[in-house]
Amino acid sequence: MTMLAAAEISESPLSTGEEPEGKKLAGRSPTQIAFDRLKKDKMAIVCSIIVGLQVLAAVLAPWITKALNIYPTAATIPYSPDKVLNFNTGVPKHGPPEHGFWAAHPLGLAPSTAVDNLARLLYGLRTDLLIATVATVLSIGIGVILGLVAGFSRGWLDRIIMFVTDLFLSFPFLLGALAMAPIIVERFQKPGQLDTLYKVQFLALVTILTVFGWMGMTRLIRGQVLSLREREFIQAAQVMGVPTRRILFKELLPNLVAPIVVATSLALPGLITAEAGLSFLGIGINGYPSLGQTIADAQQWWDQYPLYLWAPVLTISILVVSLNLLGDSIRDAFDPQTRR
Amino acid sequence: MRFKSPLIAISAVGMLALSACGGSGSSSGAAGDGSQNNNQLGNTGNNQDPTAKGPVTISGAQKGGTVTVLTLGGLTTTIDPSEAYYTDTSSILSGLIARSLTQYKYDPKTKQMVLVPDLATDLGTHNANYTQWKFTIRPGVKWGENGKEITAKDVAFGMQRCMDAATFPTGPCQYYSNVYFLGGSAYKGIYTAPSQKFHSITVSGDTLTIKMATPFPDMPYWGTFPANGPVPSGKVSDPKTYKNHPWSTGPYMIKSFSPAKELVLERNPNWDPNTDPSRTQYPDGYDFKLQQPQEKTDQILLADSGDGQTSLTYDDLLAPDFNQMKKQSPERLTLGGSPCTYYWAPDNRKITSKKVRQALQFAYPYKNAILAAGLIPGVNAIAASNLMPPGLPGRTPYNTTGHKPFQTDPAKAKDLLKSANATGYEIKFLFRTDDPISVKVKDATVKALTEAGFKATPVPTTTANYVAARDNTKEDINVRSAGWCSDWPSGSTWLPTVYSSTNPDKTNSFGTNYAAFSNTGVDSQIKAIQRLPLDQQAAAWNSLDKSVAQKFFPLFPTYYTGVAQAHGSKIQGMNDDNTFGMPTWKNIWISQ
Repeated sequence: MTMLAAAEISESPLSTGEEPEGKKLAGRSPTQIAFDRLKKDKMAIVCSIIVGLQVLAAVLAPWITKALNIYPTAATIPYSPDKVLNFNTGVPKHGPPEHGFWAAHPLGLAPSTAVDNLARLLYGLRTDLLIATVATVLSIGIGVILGLVAGFSRGWLDRIIMFVTDLFLSFPFLLGALAMAPIIVERFQKPGQLDTLYKVQFLALVTILTVFGWMGMTRLIRGQVLSLREREFIQAAQVMGVPTRRILFKELLPNLVAPIVVATSLALPGLITAEAGLSFLGIGINGYPSLGQTIADAQQWWDQYPLYLWAPVLTISILVVSLNLLGDSIRDAFDPQTRR
Repeated sequence: MRFKSPLIAISAVGMLALSACGGSGSSSGAAGDGSQNNNQLGNTGNNQDPTAKGPVTISGAQKGGTVTVLTLGGLTTTIDPSEAYYTDTSSILSGLIARSLTQYKYDPKTKQMVLVPDLATDLGTHNANYTQWKFTIRPGVKWGENGKEITAKDVAFGMQRCMDAATFPTGPCQYYSNVYFLGGSAYKGIYTAPSQKFHSITVSGDTLTIKMATPFPDMPYWGTFPANGPVPSGKVSDPKTYKNHPWSTGPYMIKSFSPAKELVLERNPNWDPNTDPSRTQYPDGYDFKLQQPQEKTDQILLADSGDGQTSLTYDDLLAPDFNQMKKQSPERLTLGGSPCTYYWAPDNRKITSKKVRQALQFAYPYKNAILAAGLIPGVNAIAASNLMPPGLPGRTPYNTTGHKPFQTDPAKAKDLLKSANATGYEIKFLFRTDDPISVKVKDATVKALTEAGFKATPVPTTTANYVAARDNTKEDINVRSAGWCSDWPSGSTWLPTVYSSTNPDKTNSFGTNYAAFSNTGVDSQIKAIQRLPLDQQAAAWNSLDKSVAQKFFPLFPTYYTGVAQAHGSKIQGMNDDNTFGMPTWKNIWISQ
C-alpha cells in the first residue's frame, strides 16, 4: 500500500529493502514489517476484533433491528408508550429493571419513551462512528496537507500557517461548539425546516470537530518534514528539479505514513468521546440517536434502571479503550524505538 | 399569575399543554399519596382572619442556620416588586423580603392559606358597593436599608408606580389596578407620563383610600401582591436599578443578587416581629442557587448529607427521583396543590375552525407526553376538564366534548377533522432542540398528531429563545403551550386574563391570551360579571367559562398541576403554599 519512490530515488532510506528485481525475501516495505509485528501482538488482534465487531454492528444496524423487530426512535415504534410503560413510574411493565430478561427487547425498553435500548444503542453507535470517522479523515487530511506545506516551504508561508495553527489551538473548542449550536437552530426556526436542520446540525458537528481537530496533526507533520527535508534524497530531488508537489506527495508523504496512521488511530477515539460529550451537553445533533444523548437521558435513571446507563457507557468505553490500545500497538509496530 | 419562571414552565412541562376540555370532571379525589386533594387545587385561601396579630412563634423552632435553595430556572424574571408576576418571584418577595397591604398565612390544620393583614392593620374597609377601599397602615414598620419608618405615602407610591404598564410590561398591575382603579385605564404611569396626575389613591395621615371605577370586592386579595407594597420614592427606585436590589420590609434583605446565578438574603435587623402577623425570622439567611441541573439537585436532596440537609428545592422532583424519595424518606417530600392549568392554545386567528381545535383535544398524547416529560401523574399532572382548576368558588365541572381524562382518541380526532373538511391540517408548534425533555415531548406529539390525521410540523428553537418565540405574535406557528395560575381564588383572575379580547396584530403582544381569542360578546359578558353582586360572580364566571368552551372552544387544558418538592432533613416547616405552588417560606426553620 505504500507508494515508494524507490525506482527514482535510490537514496531513500526506505527503499533499501526493496530491490525491484531482487530476491523474494527482500521485498518487504516498512508497512509490511509493521503489519507482521501487529499480527504477532495479541493485544492488537483482540482490539481489532472488538473494534471490528462494533463497526460491523453499527454498519448492519438497520438489518439487525429489522431482524429483531426493534425500533430506535419514538417516531418508529409501532406501539404506544403508555401501553408498555407503567404510567405512574415511567419504567417498562416488562423486562428490566423490574423483571427479568425479555427476549423481545434484549436490553429492555427506555423509560419515558419506550424506545428499544438495543436498537437505539446500535443506531447511536452508527451515528457516533460515522461522525468520528468523517471528522477524523477530514482533520487528518487538512492537518497533513498544511503540515507538509508548512514544513517544506520555510519562510513566510510556514510562519502564516503556524500562526493560524496556534490561533486555532488557542481558541476554546467547547466555547466554539456552545456558541455555534444555538446560532444554527435560530437560522432554521421556521416550519418545514426540521429535516434540513438535522442535516445541518450533523454537518456542523463534523465541521466543529474538524475545525478544532487538525492542528495537532499539522504540527506533528511539520516537525517530521523539517527533519526529513534536510535528508539527502530530498536535496537530490530538489537538485534534479523535481516539482515541489511531487516532492511533497511522492517523496515526503510515503515517509510519513507511520505517524499519520498512529495519529489517526488515536484521534478516532478522541472524536468519539468528543461527540458523546457534546451530545451529552445538549449541543450535539438532534434527529439521530447517539450514545451521548442516551447517556444524558439515562443518568437520572441510574438508581432505578442501571442497565439503561450501563449499556451505552460500556459500549463507548470498550470502543474507545480498544481503539486506544490498537493505536498504541500500531505506534509500537511502526516505530521500533518505542518497542517494549 | 404566570407559572414560575418561564424556564421552569418550559423545562418541566412547557410544551405539554394540549387539551381536554371536557373530562368527566377532573380527576378522582386524592392523589396516590393522599396528601393532596386534587378536587381542591384551586381552593386557595378562602379563609380570612382580619384580626391576626404578630409576633408569630413556632413552638420548638430554633434560630440559626442558612437555608440553601436549589433551582434550575427559578428567579430568572425580574424581582422588582412592581413587576414580579411569576409564582416564584412573587412568593419569595412576599414571603421573605417585601411586605404589602395584606398577605397569606399557612394554616397547618386545613393545609390552606388564610388571608391576614400585613402592612394594613386589617383587611381593609369598603363602602357598600365595593367602589372605595380604606386601609390603615400600621406604625413601627421600617425599611431594612435605612431604618426609616414606612409611611402610607410610601405604600401609595408603590401602588401607583406599578401602574406604569410601559415600564413594567410583564407586571400584574395592568390587569387589576389599571382596570379597577378609577381613572386607571387612562393612567400611563409615573415614568411614562410624569406630569400626569393620578387621584384615585389618596393618603391622609396613616390612611390610604382607593377609589374604584368598578366594584372590586377582591381588593384584599389583590393587596397580597408585592406590587401593592411600599417603594421608596426618588432616585433609589429607578426601575433600571431597583430590580437589582429592591428594598426590604420583610424579615430578610438582599445581601447580594446576581441574576440567573445567586440570590443571598440576610436578616433584616429593622424587621419587628410584633408588626407582622405571619412571617418569622428563624434562619440566619437564605442562599438561592440558580441554574442548578435538576438531576444534581435531586441527588443532593436524596443523599441528605452536609449542606444537603439544610437545602430545599421548589422545582418538582423528576419522576424517578420522586419515586425514590417516596420510598426512602417520604417525610422530606412536600406535596400539595397549585392553582394552575396547563393548556394548549391554538392560535384562533389561524385555526379558525372549532372542530379542528376540538380534534386537537382528542389527538393530544396526554399520557405519552406526561411519560416523556417525567411528570408524576396524579401529583403534578392531573387530568383536566375546565379551564379553571377544581376548588375555585362556583366551579362545577363541565365537559363540552365528551373527552375523558387523559383520553387520546385518534379515530375521533380524524372524524372531527373530516367533518371540518380539514384532514391533513398542519399544526405548527415550537420545541427546544437543546432540552431533551422538550425533544421527547415533541416526538410523542408529532406521532400522536400524525396518527390523528394532522400534519405535524415541529418548529425548532432553543431554550434561550423559546419564550420570545412563543410570545412573538408573528412567529410562524399556530399552537402555543401555556400555563396560568389563579392570582386569588376567583374566576375574575381567569376569564378576563385568558379570554379578554386581544389584538396581537396591532399591539404585537398576546398579553396573557395566548389563544389570541377575541370576541366582543365575551368581553361584554366579562364586564357585566365584574359588575354583578359579589355572591353571584363565582357562578357567573363558571358559566361563562363553560359557555366559551361550548361556543368557541378557543383552547383546551392539558392538565392541572401540583407540587412534588423535596427538602433536607434539617429543614422544618416547609409546606405547600397552594396559592403559588411554592414553599411556605414564612414558616421555615432549621433544626440543629
